[in-house]
Amino acid sequence: MRVTLNATCITREKWSLSAHGRFTEGIHLVSGDIGSGKTTLALILAGLLQPSAGTVDREHVSSLMVSFQFPEYHVTGSTVMDECTSWGIDPSATVKAANLSGKEDLSPLRLSRGELKRLHLACVMARDYDLLVLDEPFSSLDCREKERYCADISRRTKGITVIFTHEQMIFPRVDFIWEISGGVLHCRGRVPEALAGWEHAPQLVKQLLARGKIPHNITPADLLEAACRT
Amino acid sequence: MQDIRLRTGTAVLLCISAFISIPGAAAACIWWIVFTGRFSRAQIRVIIPVAAMIAFFSIVLALTGGDGVSYFIRMMVIILIGFWMYAEQKSGEFLKLGVWLMGNHVGFELGMLADMGLQTMHLLVSDFNQIRIAETLKGIRPGWKTLVPAGFVLVNGALSRAENTAELMAVRGYRDGGMLCPEFTTPGRDILSSLSALCVLIIAFIPVSEFFILYR
Repeated sequence: MRVTLNATCITREKWSLSAHGRFTEGIHLVSGDIGSGKTTLALILAGLLQPSAGTVDREHVSSLMVSFQFPEYHVTGSTVMDECTSWGIDPSATVKAANLSGKEDLSPLRLSRGELKRLHLACVMARDYDLLVLDEPFSSLDCREKERYCADISRRTKGITVIFTHEQMIFPRVDFIWEISGGVLHCRGRVPEALAGWEHAPQLVKQLLARGKIPHNITPADLLEAACRT
Repeated sequence: MQDIRLRTGTAVLLCISAFISIPGAAAACIWWIVFTGRFSRAQIRVIIPVAAMIAFFSIVLALTGGDGVSYFIRMMVIILIGFWMYAEQKSGEFLKLGVWLMGNHVGFELGMLADMGLQTMHLLVSDFNQIRIAETLKGIRPGWKTLVPAGFVLVNGALSRAENTAELMAVRGYRDGGMLCPEFTTPGRDILSSLSALCVLIIAFIPVSEFFILYR
């Protein structure tokens, strides 16, 4: 199971993005500044946008899902229960997972952005996909929800999970780090070796590396362990 | 057309011409072919359902004793002119036009409203495309049934954006009106096409038989 970007390039007026590389099974983190092309690359990976040049090969990928940054776009149900059903999942369990008990009959659009994001992510995580692309999954979530959701992502052991984010505080366990810099997608390699070359690394990670304390991964627990290491 | 004043005036003349009579609609259609006459693939995707809707109302009109064919032809030409106007529009042009027409108070307000409306239209199109993708990912085939929830999302999003914009403007101290010195570029081709639109209006008003009388 893998997704290969073969000299892929997308151009819009004065802006362009080039990407070449292979996404294998595991959790991939793609970081980059706002406007660097993370969402565009997410759509290309999922086959929802055709690149201007190059090709995208998805091998043995039979199911895929993209989670957009704005959860409103995914809403097709008139109530929270209907919305869960539209994903083909058990509504009761999903509502409970999203901490929305008692709001089953509300319109999803009546929920706050944070609640809707929680509902959407619970729906996405309720099923297994060969390729799961998450575009800014941590936006609109508070720290506690980010940690809870990161733990959910970290438990994914099958398939390819690609997370596009500019989050700087709370991360799930990741296997590979990529970043978009200067209009080019760079593969920094496997964690923890990749941390040294990660330009968009959070300040905490940079400080730990400067002190020679290399964290095993970038989850809050791993960073805490590295910081407390003597 | 680069000059928003001439473009808007031309569009108004052509729409009036097309609405008045079939010869006017035919002349406006010829004007559209000569001076624009191009569609993007995205526009064709929008025009087809619009044409289908007008065809439906035309059939209803014909069945109730009206001239459905005439209605269909005239409305389709107006739609073509509308699409041309929308495709040519650039951000900030209505604001310039408003100030040029009615000054820095009422003109500024109306121009800004028109520009914001147009910006909302662009965002709605973008939102709708995202919703279609999300439906496809869920395995839902886009159809009439999916239009209602999509409509709710679009209206909800538009109202929410409008509210946010209004609050932001109030926080920044906006009350009414503003200062703007609009500048326009008027190439010769714009003047030529505007004069041609005027001829279209004349054709719409003068019965076709009058032309043949002149020939005799």
